[in-house]
Amino acid sequence: MTAILARNLAMLALTSVLAFATLRAMPGDPAEIALAAWNTQATPEAIAALHRQWGLDANPVEQYLRWLGRFLSGDWGQSFRTGRPILVEMLDRAPLSAALGFGGTALAFVLAVPLGFFAARRPGGIADHLGRWVNVLSQSMPSFWLALILLWTLGVKLQLLKPFSGETGTRLVLPILLLGFYSLGSLARVYRTELLAQMREPHFMTARAKGLGVTRALWSHGHAAALYATIAALVPEFGWVIGGTAVSEVVFALPGISQFLVQSIGARDYFVLQAYVVLVAAWMLVVRVGVDLALRRLEPRLP
Amino acid sequence: MSRRDLPVLLAVGLVLALCGLWQPWDPVAIDLAGVHAAPSLAHWLGTDHLGRDVLSRLMQGAGHTAVVLATVGALSYGIGTSAGVLAASLGGLSEALILRAAEFLVVMPGLVLALTVTALFGLNPVSAGIALGVAGAGPYALVAHGLARRLLAMPFARAAEALGAGRARIAFVHVLPNCAQTMRAYLASDAGRNVVHYAALSFLGLGADTSSADWGAMLYEYRAFIFDHAALMLWPGLAITATALALNLLIEPAADEAGRPDGYVTAPARLRTAPWTGARRRPG
Repeated sequence: MTAILARNLAMLALTSVLAFATLRAMPGDPAEIALAAWNTQATPEAIAALHRQWGLDANPVEQYLRWLGRFLSGDWGQSFRTGRPILVEMLDRAPLSAALGFGGTALAFVLAVPLGFFAARRPGGIADHLGRWVNVLSQSMPSFWLALILLWTLGVKLQLLKPFSGETGTRLVLPILLLGFYSLGSLARVYRTELLAQMREPHFMTARAKGLGVTRALWSHGHAAALYATIAALVPEFGWVIGGTAVSEVVFALPGISQFLVQSIGARDYFVLQAYVVLVAAWMLVVRVGVDLALRRLEPRLP
Repeated sequence: MSRRDLPVLLAVGLVLALCGLWQPWDPVAIDLAGVHAAPSLAHWLGTDHLGRDVLSRLMQGAGHTAVVLATVGALSYGIGTSAGVLAASLGGLSEALILRAAEFLVVMPGLVLALTVTALFGLNPVSAGIALGVAGAGPYALVAHGLARRLLAMPFARAAEALGAGRARIAFVHVLPNCAQTMRAYLASDAGRNVVHYAALSFLGLGADTSSADWGAMLYEYRAFIFDHAALMLWPGLAITATALALNLLIEPAADEAGRPDGYVTAPARLRTAPWTGARRRPG
């Protein structure tokens, strides 16, 4: 536990240095970009003033330490595109992105267990084929296209909903279903593969030998171990909560973190990007530790 | 990897590239007299809101996709494999640094990295391919590293070491060739995903040249006609899905779906079999 935390904290520190260095190595002076965005003449005085205001005139090491200090105390700087503090912008948008990400992942998880279970119960059966197709289709069909097709069928043909308008709550239903579909395929496959692996273990043979049916034996003696691997496989899925839902947010015109990020990248809003990179790394740390704790409850023998 | 994986990849790439080299109509020629024409013998899939031939635009998009596939493949495979083998043979601090960098690439959503790069340098098939390729090198490096570590401990590598072979010789002569097959399988099974990723990138279209026809960009442009000319957004999506589906179905997945409890990357099934002996090993 401590080792995992230390490793991830080191990773986080490294990420912040990388984010800082990479963004400084990129072409374009942020002050000039900001001045251009404001339609202001980029006079040397204006550039120097902005540099001073943003602390870009100090040497890189000092800049980094100062930025880190301010970042840790919650001052992430301002977005020059919107003129508001970055932290506020992110917090305003976080609930929507979190609802999307958690809703989709939770839906996928709840569906993945029965789908994977019946697929493992009878390999080559209906559930197995269904799971395989969900998996292949979710990897081949772009989510934005499926979203557009759904909007067309439900909104234009059947007139069940109004595309691009309506209340936030109802507008979230379709994107969550879509995200759930996209995570379902791989999660169900992981769960199925692990269940099949459990069927070859001696303890499963023992359960069968003492008279349990395959279904019963799988559920009582294979499920927990397979769940373990499935929860571990959730780590990358959660990584998508911040920034990974960009395409869905753009298609459904939902003002979440990802959409803000895409707009900021488009406007080269330098400080937003820097904050975002560290935020993702920090978020992954939280997810890793959270998943680790969950796994520990399932498997008390873990060191 | 199954023997047909690379030929399938090459065949699909060739078809896409040929589509990119020749189109029946100029894909950017605007004909305001013939906008939203229905499919006819002259325009098999009709024309769009500017009177451009939809089929020709799809074919140009296919060519762009071929360029992206080639660039991404070459870069993730090249950078990832060499970084992984390098890390395993160097050991120590360099190994740790390379692995942390690879993990960083795995953790960061690749689309965000690629979006940033293409917003800065402009979006065209080559820049998108470079961005996606570098962003996607992380998993390759981790897989190659695991593989190389195991190979370095094999008797033939130890024997070469005992005979006085240098680290570079062992890496190039004994480790790299033995890694190559597994890494190629990984490369082939990644192709379908890259088609979809490039489509997403051009759909968001930061820094894109708007006149060029990309499948994703076409979807973004045509989605405005969802109410009256919905067929327009059918074709680009079908093109993406058909290409990715062909690649995903015909190429055997290299990575086994099982996520390892401690891993960032799912352990490829092939790493559990020893490809150089053909013997099955228990999962480690």
